[in-house]
Amino acid sequence: MSVTATARKLKKEDLSFVFDQLSASHRVIGPKIEGGVIVLAEIDIHDIPTGFEDHQAAGSYSLIRSDRPEIFSFSVGPDSFKRFLHPPVSEMFTFRRSRTSITITPPGREEKPLAFIGIRACDLSAMKLYDRIFLEGPVKDNTYASLRSNAFIIALNCSRPGDNCFCSSMGTGPEVKDGYDIVLTELRDSFLVESGTVRGQDLLARLALEEATGIDVDEKQERTAACGRAMKKSIRAKELPGLIYRNPDHPHWADIAERDLECGNCTQVCPTCFCNATYDLVRLSQVSFKPPGLSGVRVRKWDSCFSRNFGRVHGGNFRPSRRARYRQWMSHKLAYTIEQFGLPGCVGCGRCITWCPAGIDITMELEALRDAR
Amino acid sequence: MHDRSTPFEATIKWTRKETRDTFTCAVRISNREIQKGYRFVPGQFNMLYVPGIGEAPISMSSSPLDRDIMHTVRIAGDVTTALSLLRAGEVIGIRGPFGRGWPIEEAKDLDLLIVAGGLGIAPLRSVARHIMKTHSPKKKTAHPRRMLLYGAKTPKDIVFRDEFPRFRDTFDVSLSVDRADPEEYWRGETGLVTQLFDRLSLDPVRTIVFVCGPEIMMQTSVRELILREVPEEKIFVSMERNMNCGMGICGHCFFGPKFVCKDGPVFRFSEISGLMGTKEL
Repeated sequence: MSVTATARKLKKEDLSFVFDQLSASHRVIGPKIEGGVIVLAEIDIHDIPTGFEDHQAAGSYSLIRSDRPEIFSFSVGPDSFKRFLHPPVSEMFTFRRSRTSITITPPGREEKPLAFIGIRACDLSAMKLYDRIFLEGPVKDNTYASLRSNAFIIALNCSRPGDNCFCSSMGTGPEVKDGYDIVLTELRDSFLVESGTVRGQDLLARLALEEATGIDVDEKQERTAACGRAMKKSIRAKELPGLIYRNPDHPHWADIAERDLECGNCTQVCPTCFCNATYDLVRLSQVSFKPPGLSGVRVRKWDSCFSRNFGRVHGGNFRPSRRARYRQWMSHKLAYTIEQFGLPGCVGCGRCITWCPAGIDITMELEALRDAR
Repeated sequence: MHDRSTPFEATIKWTRKETRDTFTCAVRISNREIQKGYRFVPGQFNMLYVPGIGEAPISMSSSPLDRDIMHTVRIAGDVTTALSLLRAGEVIGIRGPFGRGWPIEEAKDLDLLIVAGGLGIAPLRSVARHIMKTHSPKKKTAHPRRMLLYGAKTPKDIVFRDEFPRFRDTFDVSLSVDRADPEEYWRGETGLVTQLFDRLSLDPVRTIVFVCGPEIMMQTSVRELILREVPEEKIFVSMERNMNCGMGICGHCFFGPKFVCKDGPVFRFSEISGLMGTKEL
């Protein structure tokens, strides 16, 4: 994947060139303000919420005007690539059934591939995990594969952490290491642009940019390093997964369950939460009696381990208590994924902290598990 | 390999009531190409699909060498109820086979002990039929020994009751029920299936054990086997979870860090001994 290429410089006012190159052939997905929150949507360059700064705390998010000079003056909102590559609701196939035959028709796929602009190191780590889950097996998932295969990735090195970020302690950021076609670093007066693939290299060649100097590369290093140092939160990743495995019966799980509302917000905003469930949808008008038969759609939608139905089988429930459901979520994030896919299930984006209405903070809860019971 | 997220059509060849709440349905894959490419190992499962209702994970209860694929099902929810209402000639969807089955090869020259509880006999009947079809000598021998212990709630709940005489040709069979019906003649044991261990003199060095049944029954069985010095590495259990996708992408079947659908459902006990017994994992 990695292609060694010289770094180049893009003037800030020329960021639109990148859009021009991609928008004809791709749906360009990037940050945009909707309802007072920075979300991801199909955008053009004017949608980028330059001059806005987000303030995040446990259970709170606010967007304010700022006089920061950067174009990307904000950090991550609730959305991630997940909403586009693993849609909240997707059609798996349509079916028609009679007594003696079943016909399955695969869905029509979106023809224009996606291009993500401004995707951060944390989310790229999550995407790498998704590739392992949905593409590497043992079975390839068609829905994800079709959306992912031609997606163009324009990554962004963070130069300022969000208030709940802790990627530097998870080893997943703030510097983008791989998994991108091109990566941008916002410098004082320009963007440093590097390519990571042949596709990315081709795009840069079309832009005909000047070469970056050693000073520019140094500025990139300084900025990402400063971003890492400025992070207020951290997790002792070295103690994982052991800390979780040693404490399935720690009394603190019950303490969290007292505060937990089981809304599932954390699983919605988490870029690595992939759990899903499938359903058949049949309208009454799709049922026929002469001859007997019916047709409908099989859909897949996000599911959450906080749902009571999640661990249910007929005749019982494997996780009837809230304590067990929270433990399942956090253990999966911080321990199980490492064993399952060789990558952390928490990328340190802090979204679950910001969007938890009860302000439950995964970094603090993990600290509490270290205390003797 | 056929795409695993899209079901293929299979025709029901016959169905048979086993007990008051279980039945067996034998199906044959409609498409010849898919039928030829379809190979399973005892212990694996299919997702059976009734379009408009949904899917249920059901293990195969036939031998891979049987012409039709049999599934023995308990009527428990919407899908299994819908399945129970279908008759020969009607069709269902199938995805599979999924998961890791029983280590038949590893068991070949060892003494094999099969311990089943309730409907847990279904994936083990697949093993028993397979052994009866493939391994020679077919008759009982001193070595390797083949033993089958089965526990059910009551004599009426014994699944495959008619087949036990045939199992006895190859296996030393012992049956136990939780409670016998005083109205009915019962000459087997009464009590937990694990009580039957006492009558076997196991050679722990050359014994391999396959266990399937309710989780508590499997835990008790494993404990008893370890007391009798059977190593954890030679004990295999088949776990039950809420399998939904079958291929490790939906998250419903997590048993700690294990995906029961793709890492299991059959586990070597030594792989999961640290997880067994943790409440609500």
